[in-house]
Amino acid sequence: MVIKMNFEYSEKDENFRKEVKDWLDETLPKSLSEKVKKYQRLTKEDYEIFMNNLTAKGWLAWHWPKEYGGTGWNAIEKHIFEEEIIKASAPRIVPFGVNMLGPVLIEFGTEEQKNYYLPRILSNEDWWAQGYSEPGAGSDLASLKTTAVDKGDHYLVNGQKTWTTLGHHADKIFCLVKTDLNAKPQLGISFLLIDMDTPGVEVKPIITLDGEHEVNEVWFTNVKVPKKNIVGKENEGWTYAKYLLTFERTGIAGVPYSKSALNHLKMISKRSLKNGKPLIEDPIFSSEIAELEIDLLAMEIFNLRTVSAAAEGKAPGMESSLLKIKGTLVRQKTTELLRKALGPQALPYLPEQFDEGWNEMPVGPSYAGPIAKQYFNMRKISIYGGSNEIQKNIVAKASFGL
Amino acid sequence: MDFTLSEERKMLQETVGKFFNSNYKNIDKRSENVNLPEGYSKEFWKESSDLGVISALVSPKFGGLGGSGEDISIIFELVGKSLCVEPFLSSAVLSSTVLSSISNPRNDLITDIIEGNLLISFAHCEMNNRYEDHYIETNAHLKNDEWNINGTKSFVMNGDDASKIIVSARINGDVNDRDGIGLFLVDNDQTLKRPYNTIDGYRSTELTFENSKGELLAKNENALKCIIKANSAGALALSAEALGIMQICFDLTLDYLKTRKQFGKSIGAFQSIQHRMVDMMLEIEQVKSAVMLASSTFETDDLTRDKNISAAKNLVGRVGKLIAEETIQLHGGIAMTWEYSAAHYAKRLIMIDHLMGDSDYHRDRFKLLSNF
Repeated sequence: MVIKMNFEYSEKDENFRKEVKDWLDETLPKSLSEKVKKYQRLTKEDYEIFMNNLTAKGWLAWHWPKEYGGTGWNAIEKHIFEEEIIKASAPRIVPFGVNMLGPVLIEFGTEEQKNYYLPRILSNEDWWAQGYSEPGAGSDLASLKTTAVDKGDHYLVNGQKTWTTLGHHADKIFCLVKTDLNAKPQLGISFLLIDMDTPGVEVKPIITLDGEHEVNEVWFTNVKVPKKNIVGKENEGWTYAKYLLTFERTGIAGVPYSKSALNHLKMISKRSLKNGKPLIEDPIFSSEIAELEIDLLAMEIFNLRTVSAAAEGKAPGMESSLLKIKGTLVRQKTTELLRKALGPQALPYLPEQFDEGWNEMPVGPSYAGPIAKQYFNMRKISIYGGSNEIQKNIVAKASFGL
Repeated sequence: MDFTLSEERKMLQETVGKFFNSNYKNIDKRSENVNLPEGYSKEFWKESSDLGVISALVSPKFGGLGGSGEDISIIFELVGKSLCVEPFLSSAVLSSTVLSSISNPRNDLITDIIEGNLLISFAHCEMNNRYEDHYIETNAHLKNDEWNINGTKSFVMNGDDASKIIVSARINGDVNDRDGIGLFLVDNDQTLKRPYNTIDGYRSTELTFENSKGELLAKNENALKCIIKANSAGALALSAEALGIMQICFDLTLDYLKTRKQFGKSIGAFQSIQHRMVDMMLEIEQVKSAVMLASSTFETDDLTRDKNISAAKNLVGRVGKLIAEETIQLHGGIAMTWEYSAAHYAKRLIMIDHLMGDSDYHRDRFKLLSNF
C-alpha cells in the first residue's frame, strides 16, 4: 500500500538526467541548437548530424529493446531523455523509421526484414516516411483507397498519400494499402514497404499556411513492389497500423515544449511594454500566464503519473488520448499568449530570416520574428496524429459504456 | 427602430461587392496583388476611386459622398470578404480622418486621395507604444521656423508607396504625456524606409525621420483628438472587415462540412460538430450587432463613439480567435495549406487583433470610458 506519494526523481534518475545533459552539452553543435531556437529551416543534414551522434552513442533507438540495439530504458528514463533533448534545442528525432516502423518490424516483421531494415534504421542509412493519410482518408483512416494488386511476384500499387512529413527527404515509405477491395474497411488493408526510387513514385510539395514546405503528397502510379516487402500477413495491416498508433508515446503531451514556451513568454512579457511599463505588470495578462502555468503544472504531474504507471508495466489507455488533447491545447495557448504579448510586433513577417546564416537586423526585437508563424503552424497539432475530435471519440467509446 | 439599410446603401453594397469580386476572384489573384512591388494593385486602387469606393469613405463636408459609420462598415465588410490589400485603411480612412478633423481641414489633400492621385499614410505606431494614442517617442522641434521630425515610426501601412506621411510627434513633455503632441505632414522622400510584408499579406513599413521637415497640422488637444478619432475610425473599419471575414469563414466551413465525408457520412452530420457551428453562428451575430451599434454612433459624441467602437473591437478580437481557430480545426489539414483560401482568411482575422488595439486594449478602454 502506498503510504506516501513521492513526486521526486530518484538519485538514479537524476544521475541519468545529468548524463544525458552532459552528453548533449558536449556533442550538440551550438550552430545547430541556435538554428532550432531561431526556428530556422533545418536541412536534411541538420537532422542527420544529431541522429548520427545518437547512433554513435547507442541512443538513437531509445524506444527499442536492448537485443535489437535499443537502450532498454524504462518509461521514466525515456521521459527524462525526451525532456533533455528538447531543453537543449536539439532537432527532433525524425520518428518515422526509428520510433514508428522499427517497433512494428520488431513485433511483426520477418527475420529477413528485421536483419535488413533495423540496422539501416539504426545507422540512419534509410530515411523513412509514413504513408497513412490520404485525401479521402484522414480521421477515417480505414477508408483509404490506395490499392496494391497481387501480380504474382509483386504488388502493383496505385493511389495517393498526403501530409507526408519530410517525404521529400525520404528513401523509403511504409504505406497502408488496400489489398482486398471487397472486404470491410479495416479488413482488407496491408502494410507495405516501398522504395521511393521505384518508377511511378512521385513526391509533390504541399506549402502550408506559414509559407513553409514540410509536408508532401506522394503519388503512386503503377508502382511495382516486391511481395517480400509486405509486413506481417496480407489484409491484416490494420492491426499493425493500430499498434504503431498506440505505441507507447510518453512525450505525447509535449510538456517540455510548453515549459520552454512558457519561459519564453515570461521573458517577452517582461520586455514588451504596455503604457511604458512591462506587460507582465498588467494584472490581467499576468493572470493569464499564471493560469496557463497552473494548467501546465497539473498536466506535468498527469503526464508523470502515466509515465510512472508505464514504467511499472501498465500500458497507458485513455491517458494517451487525454494527454494528447490537453497537451495540444496547452501548447497552442502558449503560442497564443506569445502572439498577444508582442502586440503589433507580431505583424512583420520576413521569410528570409528563417534561412541559415541570415544576419540582417530584424524588424523589432529579434524574438518577435517567429512568433506569429509559430502560432499558425501549431494549429496542426490538434489536427494530426488523430485529431482531438477523434481522441474524444476514442475516450468516450472506450470509457463510458454509453 | 430600423435595422435595415437604406436603398442607397444597399446599392452601394451591391455595386462595390460585385466590383471587388470581379477583381479578387480567388486567393491566387490576391497573392498576385500581394506580390506586386507596392504590395497592392495600383490599377485596382484607381478603379476603386473611379467607382467612388474611396469617396464613399469620406463625408460630403470634405468632398466625399459618404463617410458615415454605416458607409465605412459596408465598404470594409466587403474589403474583408475579398481580403483586399489596397490602402483603404491607411489612406482612405486613417489619413482622411486626420485631414478632416484638424482645425483647418485639408480638403485639397482629401480630394486628391478620393481621386486616387495621392496616397497618404498615417504614421503613429512605434515599436514601444503598443496601441496607445499618446505614448510617443518621435519628436519634433522648431529650428529656423521649420519643424524637424526625428524618430522611427513602425507598422506604417503602405508607408513605402505613400508620397506623403502624417506623423505624430512629441513637441514637448514626457513620452507618456497626453499633452504636447503634434501632427505633421511630411513629404515621404524625406524618410528612410524599410518595407516588409506582414504575415497576413499586407504591406507595412518602418519609417525613420532624420530632421525631416514637416508642416504642422495640429497640436496639443486637437492633435490627440485627431489621433483618437483616426484610431477609432480604423478600429471600426477593421471590426467591419473582420465581420466580413467571419462570414466567409463560416460559409467555407459549412460548405466543407457538407461535402467532406468520413465514416460514411458528411462530417457535418456529427452533432458535436453541429453544435460548434451554432456557437460560431451565434458569436458572428453578436459581432454583427456590435458593429451595427458602433457604426450608428460613429458621428455622435466622442465618448459614445469610442465606447461602442471599443465594444465592437474587443468582441471582434475574442470572436475572431474562435472563428479563425474553429475554421482551421473543423476543416482539418486542408485549412493548413497555402493553396486554400480559408488559411488566408484565418490569418487576417487573427492579425486584425494586432492592429488599432487588441481585445485587451479595447476591454480596458471600454472600462475606462464606462467609468467602472
